[in-house]
Amino acid sequence: MAARTMRVVGKSLPRIDAPGKVTGTAVYAADFALPGMLVGKVFRSTEPHARIVRLDVTRARSLPGVRAVVTAADVPDVRYGGGLKDETVFAKGKVRYIGQPVAAVAATTPEAAQAALAAIEVVYEPLAAVLDLEAALAPGAPLVHEEWASYTAIPILHRDGNVCNRARIVVGDVDRGWEEADRIFEHRFRTGMVHQGYTEPRAAVAQWDSSGTVTVWSNTQLPFEVQNTLAEIFQMPPSKIRVVVPGIGGGFGGKLRVGVEHFAVLLARKTGRAVKVVTTSQEELTAAYPRQGAVVELKTGVTNDGRIVAKEGRIWFDTGAFAGSGPGVASVATLVLAGPYRIPNLRLEGFAVYTNKTNCGSYRAPSGPQSNFAVESQMDIIADALGIDPLEFRLKNIVRDGDEGPTGQVLGAVGLEECLRNAAAAIGWNERRPETWRGKGLACGWWTTTGGSSGVYVKINPDGTVALNTGAAEIGTGALTGAAQVLAEELTVDLADVSVVSADTFSTPFDFGAQGSRTAFAVGNACRAAVADLKQRIFALAAAQLSVEVEACVLAEKHVVADGKRVSLAELARMSQMTGGGLIAQGTFIAPPTAYDSKRVEGHVYPAFHSPSFHAHAVDLSVDPGTGDVTIHRYVVAQDVGFAMNPTYIEGQIEGGVAQGLGQALSEEIVYEGGRVLNANLTDYKMPTTLDMPRVETILVEHPSLAGPYGAKGVGEPPNIEPPAAVANAVAAATGLRVTVLPITAERIALGLLGDVRADGG
Amino acid sequence: MSKLALTLTINGERHEVHTEPHRTLLDVLRVDLGLTGTKENCLEAECGVCTVLLDGHAVNSCILLAAQCAGRNVLTIEGLARDGVLDPLQQAFIDHGAVQCGYCIPGMILSAKAFLEERPAATEAEVREALAGNLCRCTGYQKIADAVVNAARATAAQR
Repeated sequence: MAARTMRVVGKSLPRIDAPGKVTGTAVYAADFALPGMLVGKVFRSTEPHARIVRLDVTRARSLPGVRAVVTAADVPDVRYGGGLKDETVFAKGKVRYIGQPVAAVAATTPEAAQAALAAIEVVYEPLAAVLDLEAALAPGAPLVHEEWASYTAIPILHRDGNVCNRARIVVGDVDRGWEEADRIFEHRFRTGMVHQGYTEPRAAVAQWDSSGTVTVWSNTQLPFEVQNTLAEIFQMPPSKIRVVVPGIGGGFGGKLRVGVEHFAVLLARKTGRAVKVVTTSQEELTAAYPRQGAVVELKTGVTNDGRIVAKEGRIWFDTGAFAGSGPGVASVATLVLAGPYRIPNLRLEGFAVYTNKTNCGSYRAPSGPQSNFAVESQMDIIADALGIDPLEFRLKNIVRDGDEGPTGQVLGAVGLEECLRNAAAAIGWNERRPETWRGKGLACGWWTTTGGSSGVYVKINPDGTVALNTGAAEIGTGALTGAAQVLAEELTVDLADVSVVSADTFSTPFDFGAQGSRTAFAVGNACRAAVADLKQRIFALAAAQLSVEVEACVLAEKHVVADGKRVSLAELARMSQMTGGGLIAQGTFIAPPTAYDSKRVEGHVYPAFHSPSFHAHAVDLSVDPGTGDVTIHRYVVAQDVGFAMNPTYIEGQIEGGVAQGLGQALSEEIVYEGGRVLNANLTDYKMPTTLDMPRVETILVEHPSLAGPYGAKGVGEPPNIEPPAAVANAVAAATGLRVTVLPITAERIALGLLGDVRADGG
Repeated sequence: MSKLALTLTINGERHEVHTEPHRTLLDVLRVDLGLTGTKENCLEAECGVCTVLLDGHAVNSCILLAAQCAGRNVLTIEGLARDGVLDPLQQAFIDHGAVQCGYCIPGMILSAKAFLEERPAATEAEVREALAGNLCRCTGYQKIADAVVNAARATAAQR
């Protein structure tokens, strides 16, 4: 790569969808409307766990303007879900969390829909609920799903009562490791439940046509998965379900799965009209797919000279009333618990645990922040106990090129040392406590570039411009601008010449979806494959036209050039349209499998990190000893991105990921009491504002991956992982107080400084 | 419910709207007039995505009744570019990479617009304070603040 001069990739070019977004003409799912469209709303449980004794919708149905009221009686008796099928559209027989859908209404106006919700009569008989991890795991605890054993699940999962998966990695022999260790450290950490905080609520419009096909316009990140889930729910062939993504106002993993699409589809079928369902902030904070709260226990054995010889870790995720992403999150967590460290003896377990709370899902680097907070906090605790500088302690133990990951994958392109050294140097690490109540903290980690397949069609238009047709949705990351940059580079056109059609399950090729930091990586590679095919067609046509050999043809400045002759792409496209149906090619990509040692894993749905990225965060902050307020002076991220496809938007990913990470670190938590969310509004759920965010300094490190386009690695999720640990470590350096609970609120720090939650307490 | 006849001036054009008295400006803009550039989210003036300019002042249209705007001038994001030429703020947001998902951007730009009218030579700290009522979950605000400060400088240089 290095020898070639890039024209378009690697450049900070403006994203291609920006003009529509700054002028208000870009249409998002929440903006989408059809003539005569009805308003759909959801009636939700007010009990954490209860039997439904009576549900009467007669009065609601009779109200003016109300066109339909539907309940569990109106849908096939189906349980759906990812690896574990435990969900139903509506509660049937009993409710399992406050916020669970019990019925839905469609009406001509929002007011009529609201009146219908108020007229639904329900009587509950409360049941004993399990409201936190400890209660759910206690011997004899009430079961959230008495019938759990009868559910369909992928056989890999290890389930038992309220535990809907236990994933495990075992390497070497930890007991032997304890014998080798000079010191053994044991700590416990806890993190709160947090929301993705996308600014556009989940929204869907559904409309049926006379052929029995339903079209759903939704802001899902995964249109093909939603298509399949709707097929499962409504017992229809997927070919009768068209899912189109008009535009997405942020997702961050919260819009992966069916959110409100099924309600819109059902109400539209019942009424024969288009129906739109949009969530409220209260619904988002009580009944969406937030990030699981977690408890982590770590036991780590080290030698006096700072070598980690064994680690035992357990993480329990409070996944709520349905599995959601829990089984997968519990699996991924074990890889994060290992850390980017060489440790010969490991015993790591992740548990996804049912409770009577909202169904948790995926949020940017699922499991990453919770696990990394524990691992990297403990790294600092150990370093300080051994009298070794935390940076040196990490450098002694980090993985390097050729090392094995925890499940035996061989690691390459490991830029971690460079990340750690650069981030530390940038904040002046040699002065870790520059003044009273001021301290610096480091945290590092690794993450995956999720695989899955991507298909694209690429067409040369008769004016020589290029059309990209992809099943992937642009969720804001700029990934499809990255893919367009790849096409512009390879086809020697300008970025402005590339247009994109995306995310329509009827007209775009399959894509595994905008998840797991994979879109630019996988769609970019699919584009390169399409170009390879397209070039053959282009060169064959050009060779005939120019009377030259195919082998002599090259692309240059929107032309095919050979033996001093040239013909434009536009002309070739016009010729092809006259004679051969146009210049169009399909490109596909599937990430190569990552080899690992299957004997080391159990119950694991994500046993290796593909084309892994490595990163380090460094923060310099002060704490007000009276109020506990944290002021961040410097925040530096050094991230190994493999190849920076578009540096501006990679910086944007890093700055935004850090913002969400600092929210989780310092202020955000969905607070439950008695199964009820206390802060289900944006006044009390505290996301960072312009005044809370420091300037984030970004250092891009480029150790090219073998599989990514031009060496790129997944970029989007990693910056969300390390902020809580980096902040916790800096707060400890500044104050001597080790906070082992997230969020590290000013209140927690102030109380801790008064002696309530001193070091190692939590 | 009886309807009111209101005359609203939106983006320089007079609109006759017949609507119930309880409906918000946001609702009338998006549903009755199809101006969906003004976004909808929290409906309690916390997130700022619904920001429009009312007689030049940034307001949360989700908690403002349409009837309160009768006879007044409303500027939405659709009215900011003139004759196809982007406002310097819009161009600055593009040039500085300040747009990701974009859902907060119309409100963000209009809040910035109103503020720069008052304080054309605003510092970054002042800009951040002015935009504190507009939540963005994608960008971490840095490139947004850069865009606004630079647009202010560019505009000042032209004057």
